[in-house]
Amino acid sequence: MAPLGARSVSTQIVRNRMKSVKNIQKITKAMKMVAASKLRAVQTRTENSRGLWQPFTALLGDAPSVDVKKNVIVAITSDKGLCGGINSTSVKVSRALHKLTSGPDKESKYVILGEKGKVQLVRDSRSSIEMTVSELQKNPINYTQIAVLADDILKNVEYDALRVVFNKFHSVISFKPTMVTILSPEVAEKESEAGGKIGDLDAYEIEGGETKSEILQNLAEFQFSCVLYNGALENACSELGARMSAMDSSSRNAGDMLDRLTLTYNRTRQASITTELTEIISGASALEG
Amino acid sequence: MSATTAAVPFWRAAGMTYIGYSNICAALVRNCLKEPFKSEAASREKVHFSVAKWADGKQEKPSVILVSVLRVPALHGQPGSLLLA
Repeated sequence: MAPLGARSVSTQIVRNRMKSVKNIQKITKAMKMVAASKLRAVQTRTENSRGLWQPFTALLGDAPSVDVKKNVIVAITSDKGLCGGINSTSVKVSRALHKLTSGPDKESKYVILGEKGKVQLVRDSRSSIEMTVSELQKNPINYTQIAVLADDILKNVEYDALRVVFNKFHSVISFKPTMVTILSPEVAEKESEAGGKIGDLDAYEIEGGETKSEILQNLAEFQFSCVLYNGALENACSELGARMSAMDSSSRNAGDMLDRLTLTYNRTRQASITTELTEIISGASALEG
Repeated sequence: MSATTAAVPFWRAAGMTYIGYSNICAALVRNCLKEPFKSEAASREKVHFSVAKWADGKQEKPSVILVSVLRVPALHGQPGSLLLA
């Protein structure tokens, strides 16, 4: 409260609040600029990496509604916070997918990249988590790292279909949760018999001494690695963009708070000056009178 | 579809996946570069992440994957070397 012995309302409390709000505003402005500069670098790499998975979609098509026994949901989230709502949207989509793909003889498991996703999914789906990965962004994301990770996942997790969930970066203010489905080679063979895009695979000639199933196996692994690489980059971009807008709105809020506090401060200051003046004047007139 | 015995490539028979194999090949190619490009390429192959397996809803101890060490049998009689630093 007011310091002892003060006769008028103190402005000290308001001044302390103003100082701390101003510091917060400086910090959030700095965080926004850091995120903006990092975003510029990652954005070009992300756009270039889109060319990695496009040939796969052209060749194999996308089958999001495929019905398989073992689903693995690979959710890509961030390690750090203060990035708006992107991790919550990814987790929401993953949970909905889990519900959709679990049933009497189907099951689905999670592989979670990033701390924030792990923290949220641990609360209600502990038993469905197969693997968690963190500290992915210690060095800038490169293909080698993602390939090692994809190799690890492929070797340790049994799957009929892999569903990679991430936030696709459309622009600095727009990130849409996206899901990419990758079929295991056996399921892909079954689907190719059923027709559709994959069915046209037989129209291609196979060179070399490999069989169609081997090629499908190589393709499936490589597709997973490319999609994971693109997903990790897009998610990193979305994270930076979301952090930019979160820090921007936070600086604006801090500015508004500062304006309101300044008004209160001035009012209190003027009121205390007025009280002092009235005391002096009434004291002086009491002496004269 | 049977008859996978005949034409399985050597790396598949050794238990590697296609991406594992292509990673090793890429590391070999990067190792052949000359100096300024070699250090630029080295920055593109740093691997760091920490993975933890879960069993029965419990997390086991995470293991940090720092490098993927590839040892290639000696060429010209020189000792095998670490390819990814």
